[in-house]
Amino acid sequence: MTTLHEAAQRNAKPTRPVLLLTLLMVILLWVGSLPVALACGDPPSNESDLAERGMRLKDVTQGSLLFKTHETGRFTPAPLLKTDVKISISGVIARTTVAQEFVNPSRRKNAWAEGLYVFPLPETAAVDHLRMKVGERTIIGEIRERAEAKRTYEQAKQDGKRASLVEQERPNVFTVSVANIAPLDRIIIEIEYQETVRYDQQVYSLRFPMVVGPRYIPGTPVIIEGETQGSGWAANTDRVPDASRMTPPVQHPGLGPVNPVTLTIDLAAGFPLGKIASPYHDILTIADQDGRRHITLRQDRVPANRDFQLTWQPAGGPSPSAIAYLQQQSENSYGFLMVAPPASNESVSTPPREAIFVIDTSGSMAGTSIEQAKAALVLALGRLTSQDRFNVIQFNSATHLLFSEPQPVRTDTLGKAVRYVEQLHADGGTEILPALKMALKGSPPPSHLRQVIFLTDGQVGNEDELFAVIRTELGTSRLFTIGIGSAPNSHFMRKAAEFGRGTFTHIGSTSEVKAQMDAMFRRVERPVLTDIHIQGFEATAELFPSRIPDLYDGEPVVLAFKTSTIPSSITLTGTFNARTWTQTVDVAGASPRDGLSVYWARQKIASLMDQKRSERNDGSLRQSVLDVALAHHLVSPYTSLVAIDTEPIRPNDASLMTHAIKTDLPEGQDYQAIFGLPRTATNGPWHLLIGLIALAVAFWLWRPRDRFA
Amino acid sequence: MSPIQTTPRPLVMLTVFFLTVGLWQTGEGSWMYAKARLAQMLLQRAWSRTLTGERLVKPWPWADTYPVAKLTVPSLQIDLIVLNGAYGRTLAFGPGYSESSAFPGSPGTTILTGHRDTHFYFLKRLKRQDEILIETDQRTSQRYLVQSSKVVDARTASIRLMEGEDQLVLVTCYPFDSILTGGPLRYLVTAIRVLSALPRSSDTPVGRESGARGELTPPT
Repeated sequence: MTTLHEAAQRNAKPTRPVLLLTLLMVILLWVGSLPVALACGDPPSNESDLAERGMRLKDVTQGSLLFKTHETGRFTPAPLLKTDVKISISGVIARTTVAQEFVNPSRRKNAWAEGLYVFPLPETAAVDHLRMKVGERTIIGEIRERAEAKRTYEQAKQDGKRASLVEQERPNVFTVSVANIAPLDRIIIEIEYQETVRYDQQVYSLRFPMVVGPRYIPGTPVIIEGETQGSGWAANTDRVPDASRMTPPVQHPGLGPVNPVTLTIDLAAGFPLGKIASPYHDILTIADQDGRRHITLRQDRVPANRDFQLTWQPAGGPSPSAIAYLQQQSENSYGFLMVAPPASNESVSTPPREAIFVIDTSGSMAGTSIEQAKAALVLALGRLTSQDRFNVIQFNSATHLLFSEPQPVRTDTLGKAVRYVEQLHADGGTEILPALKMALKGSPPPSHLRQVIFLTDGQVGNEDELFAVIRTELGTSRLFTIGIGSAPNSHFMRKAAEFGRGTFTHIGSTSEVKAQMDAMFRRVERPVLTDIHIQGFEATAELFPSRIPDLYDGEPVVLAFKTSTIPSSITLTGTFNARTWTQTVDVAGASPRDGLSVYWARQKIASLMDQKRSERNDGSLRQSVLDVALAHHLVSPYTSLVAIDTEPIRPNDASLMTHAIKTDLPEGQDYQAIFGLPRTATNGPWHLLIGLIALAVAFWLWRPRDRFA
Repeated sequence: MSPIQTTPRPLVMLTVFFLTVGLWQTGEGSWMYAKARLAQMLLQRAWSRTLTGERLVKPWPWADTYPVAKLTVPSLQIDLIVLNGAYGRTLAFGPGYSESSAFPGSPGTTILTGHRDTHFYFLKRLKRQDEILIETDQRTSQRYLVQSSKVVDARTASIRLMEGEDQLVLVTCYPFDSILTGGPLRYLVTAIRVLSALPRSSDTPVGRESGARGELTPPT
């Protein structure tokens, strides 16, 4: 017989192990339950989407659904795609060749393939060459009016000829179609374009986008009988009539990346180079004897899931304040001019500001993007001074205002704003329009400068609709866009800022937030160079932009011109901080360069398209764009490049399957937040279960005491 | 030594700990159900205001959604207010209308999503030919008859946007009584719109698009 004491001791002793054991169990339960609790049920936004691998029931948050299923191509594998990019930079002009290799992996003799690939290019790219390579042969693409090019392509496709077609959907979104890829055969499509590098605050930069991120498509689906829809996951809507052409199917990230990219850059900056950096990719740089640099990615191939960016700076001392290039072409001369006003280091008293911060909290921002945006916004709030007024607006499917009216900066208002921003999470649609209207509405006291700072990834399909709102409702406000995330819609960022008479900035990683926001604030806080005029050109010279916009600190004047007589020099004047700024540039002595006519033509098209957005006299402007594009061999909204092989190769009895090539999800984005159906279960039962177990354990622990008492 | 042993301190603390956790968790779990119920009460009020012509009525001041339709299943005594948007943060309060599908009551495919363990638990009990009524803010009511139900894998399946067919698709998680959440399976109920008026109100005019007018007799 054991005494009570002994029993108690025996019972008491194990308490320690029991205690440890139960504690461990509890911890395990909590840790274990976390992902589960997050995986379904209520809001948390950064849930791991492991549980939802391969969701195909696409949401609904993305405007029109999913619900177009493509029966074709279900039973044969889609062509595989590899991209090789070669960029050659000379001064401030870059020429890029993008070689896309399509391989039909099917072994079945009769499984011929057509591949459709929606891909991005820089929003300023002038696409002027298409080459289709079949074995040793090269077929040169020709420029045609868009509908005609499409007909030519379709005819060749029917005839069984190899064919390819490059169409522009947006200034930064293109579609390449490749028909009649034989089983186990390959076709290489080479697309060549030209662009100028960006120069801002003494840094040169070049961006190469790699993926068109999933766009939010607002509006009601519209299906027109007899009209073929594109291959995308969205149906055309009343507000985005070409939605189905710019929403390529997205590979689930859990299934691994699909389109590998290799990239090399040949950089001839024209001056001794200082720092060269690529913020998002590891690079290898080899210097040449003559100062050129060969740059490659450190990894052989990278997934096409984020923008590539290269930045470079001159070694010591400022770079030349003016760059001028000339090209003679028959009776005309084309020219390029970049003039950087001297950097101002004078500190001026900034006028009080009314800052309206607009932050995108839609599903496409879920993941790393929202963290970057929040960090940037908190930083921006910290830069406000007591003379300023401010408000914060967030938007997803709905628009929320922090304050009904902009508030003065005080401890309580600022504190409230910081707490508000810190609790933001991303989920839902991207209804920019009402938020934009809300942000542009309102009149500040006359003493205040009104600045709208817009943080978004711009992943929408209705850009033109938004530009129209900015243009008509801007008033005295200035709009500054901050492109967030790994693959933002740069076309939206640039144009919105242009129409909003502000500037744009990119933030692609959390480590960049501070530097980029500092740069942005240098722009908004320093005086602006206004009333810029150019003298010296003959009256018939065509200059683009025709009206030079106001320049923020560190921005250069960039000009493309076409003239019959070259002036020996031109003079730029402007007003800076209530003083007159003048600079004379020697044009006659400019260094000769090729490709300036292409650059000029591209600027002209951009300018015409801007006019079209405002004037709506579609007919004559369309003709003007056609004239320029056809003359300069450029892809535009109305012209496409098409290349057709000579001989039919597909046998009559072999079928041709059309495949929309999948794209990767931009890095850091959350597939579930964009495409996932909402989780349709609460974790209520789970909480109840845990709660009851815990109560039972508590009861059990309490019982022994009764026995000893 | 006293034969009476006081309970060791750690044991007391552990007990208190489990007790707290137990109450907290049961509270949390019950709150989810309570919230789902309470919200529907507030929503019913917001809905009656919507019917009087107010637009985008917020059921509570900080709500970021608004009622868009009323869903009733007479045979099961189900009466639910449908919210705009099928997102996690709206589904806690009521079934959500997927914004890119056809607007409830309008031609085309309308998709409504709800939580399997609260609002849409009744999907389990729906049978073929059961009647579902959708009342819209235009005071019109559409009648749907349940056609089929199926379990799909959300990773591979997709809902067809039927052209020219007016249907209602109700979506929820599957299986219904699973403790764990986040599974890939979804339960879909498809109901086809019928243009005939309600059996009992044969005098109500039948419109092609609008169906029976306003005064639907609620199930008794």
